[in-house]
Amino acid sequence: MRERLYVNTFWAGVSIVLLLVAWHLLALLLNKEALPGPLPSFAAFFRELPGELWGHFWISGYRVATSLLISLVLAVPCGMIMGREEKVDRLAAPMIYVIYPVPKIVFLPVLMALLGLGDVSKIALITLVVFFQILVPIRDASRSINPAVVNSIRSLGAGRWHLYKHVVWPAVLPEMLTALRIASGTAIAILFISETISSQEGLGYFLLDAWSRYSYHDMFAGIIALSLLGFVIYMALDGLERYLCPWKFV
Amino acid sequence: MHDNMMLEIEGLSVGYRQPKGEVPALRDVSFSVPRGGTCALIGPSGCGKSTLLYVLSGLLKQFGGQVMVEGAPVAPLRRQTALILQDYGLLPWKKVSDNVALGLEIRGVAKDEQTERIRRVLTEVGLWEMRDRFPSQLSGGQRQRTGIARALALEPDLLLMDEPFSSLDALTREHLQGLLLDIWNSKRITVLLVTHSIEEAIFLGQKIVVLSGHPGQVIDVVENPRVGQKGYRKTTEYHILTSQLRDKLEQVGDGS
Repeated sequence: MRERLYVNTFWAGVSIVLLLVAWHLLALLLNKEALPGPLPSFAAFFRELPGELWGHFWISGYRVATSLLISLVLAVPCGMIMGREEKVDRLAAPMIYVIYPVPKIVFLPVLMALLGLGDVSKIALITLVVFFQILVPIRDASRSINPAVVNSIRSLGAGRWHLYKHVVWPAVLPEMLTALRIASGTAIAILFISETISSQEGLGYFLLDAWSRYSYHDMFAGIIALSLLGFVIYMALDGLERYLCPWKFV
Repeated sequence: MHDNMMLEIEGLSVGYRQPKGEVPALRDVSFSVPRGGTCALIGPSGCGKSTLLYVLSGLLKQFGGQVMVEGAPVAPLRRQTALILQDYGLLPWKKVSDNVALGLEIRGVAKDEQTERIRRVLTEVGLWEMRDRFPSQLSGGQRQRTGIARALALEPDLLLMDEPFSSLDALTREHLQGLLLDIWNSKRITVLLVTHSIEEAIFLGQKIVVLSGHPGQVIDVVENPRVGQKGYRKTTEYHILTSQLRDKLEQVGDGS
């Protein structure tokens, strides 16, 4: 187990070094101010981090994490119930299918008018997007649970509550984590857009501000911070999976 | 009405609703199993054997005819009935001991009592050392033993099994058939098992109900009183019965 961890860490290191080398070569090749190499970018990153950048990183991280958490709390129970209760599904599924394909970013003006320009409207927008991305796969996973398993648990005397607790919830957990991984990418994209529109804080603002100053080094420092944010979320989800789904790691 | 009958099935018919109309699964099935007896149901695939178990366990409520368990109409979730399905119904996310505890937890048995019973049944099936493993870490035979342990933890008086040993290799299968006989001998649980194996039906069923396919109907009921006697598999009677049963099943056809 320990040894595997070392091996994994080693290859993760190799992978990132390869990426940086490719970036460096590309920057050399293009030789454009708009694409600085990793060295000046990281220099800018570490210069800015103790000051302004850390604050922006923190607020963006807070917005994404809160949105993911709220989406999870809302979408997982809804998805589980829609997958198991046909009557609920018949009523709710058409609504979902109509709203799902609408790019939720179009609601940003509405949300800003209702919830103001601060954190709340941004969190609401991300939640709106991520909610559906979690709801749909959870619903499908909950619906496709092997009926033989359900029957054998029912034969033990399980009622609805037991079925959700012992079968449906653990059965959708892996799907939930996969959906979260995919959704976290979308969440950061939506975060970025929402932070570039009438905003004073967050990595999106930092990036746009750097761009408007033609400070490409700072801009890439912001990009590094964004990718770091995604990486932290990914690692957190990996840890969560190990904790919640121990049977998948034996 | 016989007081010593555990199961009395009279004119049982079950149909499945399908888009094209109702497809009969079982038609006019009647037989009975005495308390503490064993009964094997054998027939071609698609003869409604599993459907019958669903009815007896109370999971399937739409049926015609009369089904009595211990003299009372079959009730959903009768506490002393245990059902073991073909794929053992183990939850992959629960450890062996938690899988075994599941029925007890659902029925609200106190924690101390749960621990006590889990230790007892897991020891009985020889899996106490495996209690902290997940089902994916077990062999097929160990999984089936876990399924049996989960059923035994409920302290049932009626055990329903759907092709319990069909996916196991021959040696494991004979070993587990022996284990089942031991359990039956010591507890005198009424056992009803569905099988497609002639040898299994004769080795385990004091009464062998032969079903035809599409829809399932009772062709014959064979008495087989020597079940559980030492070395039964090696006796002439066992082999004669095997070929008789094979003849009967060949007449029915395999339904395919």
